[in-house]
Amino acid sequence: MKKRFIPLLTALCVMAFTGSAFAHFMVFYTPEMIMEKGKELDMRIAFTHPAEAGHMMDMGGIEEFYVLKAKGDKVVKTDLKDTLKEITWTNPHSSAPAFAAKVPKKVVRSMGDYVFVMKPGYYFEKEEGVYMQQITKLVVNVGEMPTLWNEPVGLPCEIVPLIKPYGLWTGNVFKAQVLSEGKPVAGAEVEVEYMSHMPNLDTNSMPAESSVEYPNGALVTQTIFSDANGYISFGIPKAGWWGFAALGVGPDKEYKGKELGQDAVIWVKAEDMK
Amino acid sequence: MKKLMIVLTLAAMLAFAGQAFAHSPLMSCFDNGDNTVTCEGGFSDGSSASGVKVHINDGNGKTIIETKMNEDSEYTFDKPAGSYMVIFDAGEGHTVEVNGADIVE
Repeated sequence: MKKRFIPLLTALCVMAFTGSAFAHFMVFYTPEMIMEKGKELDMRIAFTHPAEAGHMMDMGGIEEFYVLKAKGDKVVKTDLKDTLKEITWTNPHSSAPAFAAKVPKKVVRSMGDYVFVMKPGYYFEKEEGVYMQQITKLVVNVGEMPTLWNEPVGLPCEIVPLIKPYGLWTGNVFKAQVLSEGKPVAGAEVEVEYMSHMPNLDTNSMPAESSVEYPNGALVTQTIFSDANGYISFGIPKAGWWGFAALGVGPDKEYKGKELGQDAVIWVKAEDMK
Repeated sequence: MKKLMIVLTLAAMLAFAGQAFAHSPLMSCFDNGDNTVTCEGGFSDGSSASGVKVHINDGNGKTIIETKMNEDSEYTFDKPAGSYMVIFDAGEGHTVEVNGADIVE
């Protein structure tokens, strides 16, 4: 009888282990990436595994939160740290501190691209004894006027799109360049995940039900590598939100005497052509 | 010399084609809440509207202000009494009209 439990326990252990191998993603979310007119933006920032509404992690606060907007030939930076409010984000299996932000309409009023930048604190991954920090970009557009979406914004590490991150059709190829301190990163490992559980802003949670059936773990997180010039390309198979995380490309390699993985994250959105 | 002419002609054609196809005009206006209104213009290819003509007509269609977008592709004016219309005029087929009644804070 007891022997029968062993395969079950082994299976559970394997599941638990593969679970932890899935990608960590800084979810930086607002319901719409394109708005006809400017309005107050309701945003959420949570550290989790978006393809599975997975384990929640404490991102260790937020170091920087701001938005960049072109005005004429200049780029104007607006600090948004005072719009942040600490909340608890609850996924089906765990919860962790996260953030909500209400970005006032007066900030998001003009036509053009708004490049939101969120630099979190440090997350300590106990199992591996390493710190993680995912510097995340989200580009929102007002009034269909493209301005900044394809410009590097001077982050320690970032993913710079070559196709509008908010204006993709399903089946388009998302192309981008991975930069570290402004220079292309050859051979960067980039993890890609689909937001299979759309965030619910009213309950600060992700629903248990997934919009995708994954035949196996290999398809939950897809991995692509940048070419010799730092370029990545990824065909988008389904409408919705896709996250790209370039792992360990940032210049900082150590935090509090421990190894640090500094990643660059960007979110893009695809629409079905009907 | 002939080669140069061909290159220049091609370059001119390309530049022209770019203008003719790529961009549609865009304008967005908002009430600043202090009795002034700001309108900003641009083109769908991301190009600036600096220097593009702007007209403001009164309720009878009479032009009351005739000006140009500034270096930031904007124009701010005192909110006219009564109904009005803002017209972004980047040439034939490239105009946008915004009704004053639709301009809110």
